[in-house]
Formats: sequence, C-alpha cells, structure tokens
Amino acid sequence: MRQGVSYRQLHFALSGLKLMNSQATLSRELALRIGLAARALPDTDAKHLLSVLTACVGVPLTEEKIARIDLKALKTALAGDSEVDEPLLTHALSILSADLHSHPGVWERESYAEGDMPGSVRLACASNDGLHVDGYFGSCSQFLVYQVSAAESRLIDIRNAEIPKGLEVDDKNLFRAELIQDCQVLYIASVGGSAAAKIVKFGIHPMKLSGIETIVDIIAQLQTVIAGTPPPWLAKVMGIEAADRFRFEREATG
Amino acid sequence: MALYIVEADCISCGDCLPVCPTDSITEGAIVFKIDKKTCTECEGDFDIPQCVKVCPIDNCILPLVA
Repeated sequence: MRQGVSYRQLHFALSGLKLMNSQATLSRELALRIGLAARALPDTDAKHLLSVLTACVGVPLTEEKIARIDLKALKTALAGDSEVDEPLLTHALSILSADLHSHPGVWERESYAEGDMPGSVRLACASNDGLHVDGYFGSCSQFLVYQVSAAESRLIDIRNAEIPKGLEVDDKNLFRAELIQDCQVLYIASVGGSAAAKIVKFGIHPMKLSGIETIVDIIAQLQTVIAGTPPPWLAKVMGIEAADRFRFEREATG
Repeated sequence: MALYIVEADCISCGDCLPVCPTDSITEGAIVFKIDKKTCTECEGDFDIPQCVKVCPIDNCILPLVA
C-alpha cells in the first residue's frame, strides 16, 4: 500500500526504449520526466511523447535540448493531434524542464525517526506529477509526505493513493484520509466538503491552494511561517507548549 | 451568557464573522474573538448559535462558563 508509486517501473520501461534506432538509452531523470509529462497530457503515452519530442529537437534527446522546448515548438510538433489545452501543455513542459537535480528531496526518500526534527510538522501534498501540488484529494495519484521544520525538510514517504486491486473500499475518501492520518497538514489543489470533514476528523488540517504551486515553494512558505510566529493551531500540532504559545501571543499583540 | 473561541483550535477562516447577528465577532491579533458583552448565543435570533453552526472545527466555539 505504501510503496513508492510506479516511478521505478516507469523508469525501467522508458530507459529500455530505443529511440529511432539512434539513441541508446535515456537518462533516468529524463525518462521519468517524459513519463510524467505524458501522464499529464490527455491521450498521450510516453512512447508518443518521445516521438513528438524527437520531432522537436532531433536525436539524441538530451536534458538541455528538452529544457529549451517552448510552448510554441511543442504545439507545432503536436499539430495533427487533437487540440490540447495550453495550460496542460505548459504544465507538461514544466515537468519536462524541471531541474530535478536542484531538488533531490523531491525524488529521494530520506530516513526519519520520531524525534529527529523537534518543532517540525508532517505534511502531505496531493500530487500527480510529484513536483507540484496539482492533485485533487479524491483523485490524485499519490501523497508526498514531508517532515518540515524551520531549518530542514525531508521527504519521508511517497504513498500511492490508489486503492490496491482486490481491496474492497466503501469510502474512497476515508481510505485516502486514513492513508495520511499521521500528517498534521495536507496541501491539495481542491477538495470536496464531505471529504474535507473526514480529513479534519483525523486531525489533519487541509489547505486548499488557490493555484498550482510547486511543492518546493510550499515547503519554503511553511518554513517561513514555522520560523516566525506560527498561528496557534499550527503551534499546537507542532507540539509547542501552551506556555510558549503565550509568549508568542504577547509578542504578537505587543 | 456568551460564547468564546478556543484560540489553539481556531484556524482564522473567518466564516463565523458574517453570520453573527449581533456583530460580536472581530478578528483579533491572533485569532478571531467574540465580545462576551454583546454575544447572546443567538438567543432570540436563531435556534442554535450561528458561529458554531458554520465553524469547520469541532469544539472550537464553546460557551463561557461564568
């Protein structure tokens, strides 16, 4: 239930793909990105996207060349396919060009033991592409679980949100809420009212974002809040004692 | 009789502010607060306190015990 999504399988499937007989194999990161970008586009599988990208920049496909593809070039290369919404294309491009090397935490799970990070909070991000908080609570493919303190953040788990085959589940939203019940905060692109109520029942604070943001940005924002004067509900879930909260209050009220 | 907002639980969503018939709710420095001098617990206006009804957090708005 908590295995790390299907990245690994995706990687093997893609890195084994030979491109137009003239490229050996794709780098691991590039293969991942192409697979994820294809998933973000309607009616597009990784193989098709590979041929489209090759039409754009020629072989061999490199990360540098792919990062230079802009919206117009991608649109031209996709011409002939049914019209795809521009926001979706932009989203796919951002997945393709994201510099994963600068955000290793997005991909490598880090170990965490209880008590490792005092004054930290555990948050779940509903995501489809693994880079952005772009998931609806009830339909996202995965929850990325981070432990975040003012000073550091660790990706401690990636949880597949799909119901395992063969498992009978009456309430999908309840299943999903249970999946992240060790988290105190949840970031989602959207959530329905009754699902939100179930999330709150587990003591998880749902945060719906007004637009799609990267997980890296969200964590940076949360760290700023933690380092400053966290609101009382956040201080409470972080385990800051009421006496210390009172100190915060006095500072805030002057 | 009056209600108060439990500071550690209030998430400052502001949903309670517009539904108060006596305008007793204001945004404080930390979280929202209820003026105990004007709060009527909605008696005379509604069957149940409206702020409690709309508050998304359980047990966040409670009666003040005098």
